[in-house]
Order: sequence, then C-alpha cells, then structure tokens
Amino acid sequence: MSMTMATFILLLVMIATFILSSIKLKSPDISMVVAAVVLAIAGLIAFPDLGSPVRYLVEGLFVNLDLAMLFIAASIFVNIYSNSGAVSTITRGLVKKVKNKWILMSVLGLLMLIPGALTGAGSVSIFVLGGLVNTVLAYLGISKKKRTVFIFFFAILSAAAPPINLWTMLMTAQANMPYVGFTWLLLIPILIAGAFAIIFIGYGAKPSTTENILDELPPETEGMTWWRIVIPVATIVGLFLLALWAPWDIPVLGLPLMFVIAAIVAMLCNPKKTSAKGYLSILDDTMEQVFPLVANVLSIGVLQSAMAATGVRGLIGSTFVGLPLILIYCLIIVIGPITQGCFNYGCSVVLGGPLIFMFNTLGMDVTVVCAALSLIFPMGDCLPPSRIVGRLACEETKYTESYLGFLKTALLPMIVLGIMAVIMIVKPASFAFLY
Amino acid sequence: MVFFEQLIHILYFVMAGLIAVSLFKSFFRRKKNNGIVFDIMYAYCLIPFILRILYIK
Repeated sequence: MSMTMATFILLLVMIATFILSSIKLKSPDISMVVAAVVLAIAGLIAFPDLGSPVRYLVEGLFVNLDLAMLFIAASIFVNIYSNSGAVSTITRGLVKKVKNKWILMSVLGLLMLIPGALTGAGSVSIFVLGGLVNTVLAYLGISKKKRTVFIFFFAILSAAAPPINLWTMLMTAQANMPYVGFTWLLLIPILIAGAFAIIFIGYGAKPSTTENILDELPPETEGMTWWRIVIPVATIVGLFLLALWAPWDIPVLGLPLMFVIAAIVAMLCNPKKTSAKGYLSILDDTMEQVFPLVANVLSIGVLQSAMAATGVRGLIGSTFVGLPLILIYCLIIVIGPITQGCFNYGCSVVLGGPLIFMFNTLGMDVTVVCAALSLIFPMGDCLPPSRIVGRLACEETKYTESYLGFLKTALLPMIVLGIMAVIMIVKPASFAFLY
Repeated sequence: MVFFEQLIHILYFVMAGLIAVSLFKSFFRRKKNNGIVFDIMYAYCLIPFILRILYIK
C-alpha cells in the first residue's frame, strides 16, 4: 500500500471516529480528542516508526495553550470591567449621543475592528466589546440571530484588519516575503464588506425610542466618572500599541499578561466597594464561563497535533495545491474556510504557504494573493470542528437556536467578502496600485 | 531588561498555577451535575497548566 493511500485511510478513520463519537458523546470537544487518540493509534499501526503517540497528544495540549490563557485573562478583564458598571455607562452614553441607527451601527462596527486589528485575534474583539455591541443592537430592534452575525462578522474582519493579520504574517514568513504593503489591500475590502454587513443586518430593524431604551438599560453607577471608564481601556490599548511600536524597548509581555495588568487597573478604577472575596467569586464565575471554550481550543490542538504527526494534514494541503488552477479558483472560497475550521491559523501553513509558492511560479503578484487568502481564511472561524469565533459570538448573545440558522444568515456578508477576495486572486495585477 | 523578562516568566508561572487551582475549584463546584464527559475534559484541560507549573527553569 502506498503512503498516500495509507494516509488517506487514516483520514477516513479520523472522520468516522469523530462522527461516531459526536453522536454518542454529544460533545464535539471530547470527540476531537477521541478522534485524535484513535488517529494516533491507527497511525502507529500504519507507520510503526512514528514513535510514542502519547508524546504528540500531550504536545497537542500545548498547541493552543496561549489561546486558552488569552481567553481566560481577557474574560477576567472584561468581567471585572463590567462589574464596575463601566459598560452600562458607555452604553447609555452612546444611546443618548447617537440618534441615527446607521451611524450607531457604523460606530459599533468600527469600534469592533480595533481590538482584533491590534492583536490579530477576533476573539479579543468579542471579549472587549461583544457585550456592549450586543446590548446596543438589541435596543435597535435587531434580532438575536442577526446580532450574533454582526458580532461574528466584525470579529473576523477585525482579525483580518491591519496592522496585525496573523494569516498574512504566517504566509509571508514561509515565503520569505516582507510584511509590508498590506494595509490598503486588506482595509478596503474589509470596509466594503463591513458596510454591506451593516446594511444587511440593519435593514428592516425598528429601534425603540431613546427614552424607552434608557429606561430598560441598567442605571448609571454611582461615582462612575469618565476617567474611571477610559483608564482600563486606555491601559490595554496602550500596551497593545507599545508592543507594536516599541518592541525592542519593552520586554515581551504577551497578551494574557496585558489583560491581567488591565484587569488590575480596572479593579483600582472600580467606584464600587468590592471586597477581595467579591473579586474571587468573579474569578470563579469567569472560569465556569470560559471553561467550555478552553476545553475546545485544547481539544483542537490535540487533533491538529495528531493530524500533523500522521501526515493527514500534509495530505489535505498537497492534494488541494495539486488541483488544476481553475478548480483552485472555484474551490478556494470553500476549502479555505473549511481548512480554517480544522486547523485555525494552521491553514495558512497547510494551504497558504504552498499556494503562495504556486502563484509565484505562475508569475502572479503574490502580495495581492496573500492579502486575498487572508480575507478568505477567517471566514472559517464559524465552521466546525473549531468554530472558535462563531461559538464565542453565540455565547455573547446567548443564541441557543440552530447553529445552521446562524450560518445561513452569516452566509451573505461572507459571500460578498469571499467574492472580493477571489477577484483579487484571479486578477492580482489589477490591485497592485493599492500598495 | 533581563530582570523584567525573569519577572514576566515568574508571573506566567503564577498565572498557570492560579488557573489550575481555579479549574480544580470549578470542577468540584459543578461535580454534582457533571457527566463523565465533563470529568474527562477537566482532567485533560488541567494537564497543560500543571505541566506548565512543573516546567519552570
């Protein structure tokens, strides 16, 4: 049996195990771990030289440990900040000041782009602003499903927005390209897709009157001043910018520690008298709230590691790159997001890198192609097995209806973004003026 | 700079420890309505945090 055939059988074994386990255990997280263990054992039978499967299963737990730490730290910051009453005060201020629905939605969309653009993670946008955006959109008369789509879509746009786009960074690192010239190539499609999403989501929504909205919002916190609201957010944004603009002058803090520092600042700025026991219960509640997500990202890491070790990951990437060019053009909008759903940022290594080399040999402008690919990959953040951003958006709005219904609603804005990206891939020279 | 890098290293070590403790507490708080699936998930989620604590140089 050839190596390709053996690896293909391993892929089938993994998929079958995942499906059966999902049906039996009703938990995609543990099903991923079960699939990884079965894949590792099957891989050892197929390729006896593979070494101990325990090693790469444990290594897999560390693949996304930084993400798990980030989720926990960001959630702690947001919960402490919300507990101080700052979020409800900002919401009241926004509703009082901005009367026009479309302007308010545009402001919320632009605000959501900032945290993800500075950190490269769409999940951070949801953690920092998801609650606020959800509250305001609810009073604008937008349904829960469309609110979830708004938060999800702007979160993935924020992850793709410059200056930090991790997919582009990973692809340029592989292809020895400089990470320059991407600002407008990324920003213009993002703003067009964002504007379309705002019109699509806001169309037909009937907002309540300002008085009604203010009556239903939580009352302003006593002693809450503008500097108590601004300082914690300014701390986190300041730390992001310092890491970006003065990387050699400050030690590498890492995002989790930045959020912990901001959480301590939020505690100091809290006008409510909260005891140490009160903060401890916030920490415990945060862990309860964030545990399913931590389990999710750690499970994905185990599966990714098992797929990489057994060659399944490479099989998927090399098979796609080997297709005829016309098929790549047609399928990239589907295969790109699916790969993102399976490997998260790993998709830019599995698919992105080989595709950049392939387009380079065809003499195409790879800077434009690279930007286009990094607009396609984030759309997979709502697809199983990982669906990290999609799941976060659902949790933020407490959307418990059909996940497929959410995907169908999110499809139209994603198609608009995808079509722009495919045009950029097919005719890259036409967009070279943007850098 | 070296001092700060060491300090950050220690802070991450402390953070991993606090998360592990918090996960333990969370596990026992919801123990009554946990299924076996959740118990296993807690177990393997604790592994990297515990290893992160043990692996301090």
